[in-house]
Amino acid sequence: MDLTLLTQYVLAGLVIGVIYCLMAVGITFIYSVMKMINWAMGEFYMIGGYAQYLLIASWLGPQRWALALPLAVLGVAALGMVVQRVLLRPMFVGQLERLDEYATIVTISLTVLFRNLAVVVFGPYQFSPRDYAPPFQLGPLPINGSRFVAFLGAVVLLGLFAAVVRRTWFGLALRGVAQNRLGAIAAGINLPRIDMLAFGIGVGLAGAAGALLAPVFLVYPESGALSTVKGFEIIVIGGLGSLPGSIVGGLLLGLVESLGSVLISPAFRDVYGFGLLLLILALRPTGLWGEQAREA
Amino acid sequence: MHVLTVALYYAILASSWNLIAGYTGLFSLAHHVFAGIGAYASALLVIRTGIPIPLGIACGGALAGAAGYTLGALTLRLRTLYLALATWAFAESIRLVVSMEYGLTRGDLGLAVPKLFRAVSPTPYYEVFLGCTAAAVAGLALLLRSRIGYRLRAIRDDEGAARAAGVNTVRWKRFVFGLSSGIAGLAGALYGHYIGLLSPAAMRFDEMALIIIMVILGGQRTLAGPIAGAVVIEVASEALRTYGQLRMVVFALVVLAVMRLYPAGLMGIVRAAIISRGRDRS
Repeated sequence: MDLTLLTQYVLAGLVIGVIYCLMAVGITFIYSVMKMINWAMGEFYMIGGYAQYLLIASWLGPQRWALALPLAVLGVAALGMVVQRVLLRPMFVGQLERLDEYATIVTISLTVLFRNLAVVVFGPYQFSPRDYAPPFQLGPLPINGSRFVAFLGAVVLLGLFAAVVRRTWFGLALRGVAQNRLGAIAAGINLPRIDMLAFGIGVGLAGAAGALLAPVFLVYPESGALSTVKGFEIIVIGGLGSLPGSIVGGLLLGLVESLGSVLISPAFRDVYGFGLLLLILALRPTGLWGEQAREA
Repeated sequence: MHVLTVALYYAILASSWNLIAGYTGLFSLAHHVFAGIGAYASALLVIRTGIPIPLGIACGGALAGAAGYTLGALTLRLRTLYLALATWAFAESIRLVVSMEYGLTRGDLGLAVPKLFRAVSPTPYYEVFLGCTAAAVAGLALLLRSRIGYRLRAIRDDEGAARAAGVNTVRWKRFVFGLSSGIAGLAGALYGHYIGLLSPAAMRFDEMALIIIMVILGGQRTLAGPIAGAVVIEVASEALRTYGQLRMVVFALVVLAVMRLYPAGLMGIVRAAIISRGRDRS
């Protein structure tokens, strides 16, 4: 295979990988701050897609998709904060026992709730928003305009996220909470509020992925399922609680999928990720960058 | 009658999951897949090698139990969240493999399975399931009251302390994984030979979510809870069939409400009623 073709595939894999990173970073971020896994991330992805589609279809019109994007993301983030406030806060304030189980059960129930609610409210139809931009040439790679926009959007969001976490007081608070929840309270950080905001941000990232990818992967109630799977694959590969792990994992997944589809067979595109996942589970169960799974 | 039979199937699944998650604290998200493994194993054995169906069912259960035992051995060190992730990954991989291995399992098209009885009505199946559920619950009750039950609950409450007190956590964790998945496999195999059609769709995560919902609704630390939850949800599911997806929305909302407001579930309500009535009488 000649080099241009290979570069094309590698680039394609990286492009989609960056977008997967959004999901993975969302999951890992929520875990780092709140020490719980939100199994419903895919559903927020789906809600992001629906929000974007609805905004474009009914209010803003397809020309102003760029305006609809941040609105959709903020909407999803707001929903996430409400969910956190109502359902998850008691986890930390009231109930002390068996937090992990509670969070898992609640978020799994949310998955069921949102998925079926989407079918009830919007019907089992597939919506396809118009492409965001005409096809584009990224070096040797001809790329779908929407994918390119999604790629750029993901890069911008991840960069923004990194900047906030590293350079702002808020980011400092987040990092403090991630390192030591009790210590953060002692330092005067408003823990419930940080939890709520962190959940909103994490969920917003998933919603952003959904909104950005709406024209690419289309909007339908089950769209959350696959993205949840991909997101968690990345988490297992890269390690829970590690942001570089999520990013590397996301890129790796994108690469593996792209190259696997090309070199072996495109039918098994979703399976390659699992192959990688099982490999990592066998060799290094906590993931490439994962924290050691200690008994607390 | 058919509804009750299906409810009993789920009751067995829910009870065995409650054993591993509610009583031992191992929150496994792969339970539905063990039922699937049992079902497919039994079906394939019967189809390919012609062994009698009850033997096939037993083999299916044994195979599922072995798989569960292995999974338990592999995940010994993992804490709750990592255990959930690993079992989830395992479950999805198995589902994908079954889906993809077209030559073996006919993938998404569904595998036609020989039925256990020639009857058209579900009555003989109902009786078999009833018997199996009763046996499973009785077995579980005995197990939980025995010293093994103490050990399992010790593992749930504080694994470090349990180990310090002399509980061989390694052995019992593997044991409970193997046992609960074996039971699930038996139920799955039985169900497969009842329904007559197997598909990897039964191993989707939604099934696991359904099991969780049933157990939570019924009350997760009780013996009768999962059964009550399974029956209630199956019956309600049938009754609300006209509403389609709205059923699941309702169930999910109910579970959220239960978790948030009244974690003891249905059995908690029943117990509270019994206790208060006893108090009034005296």
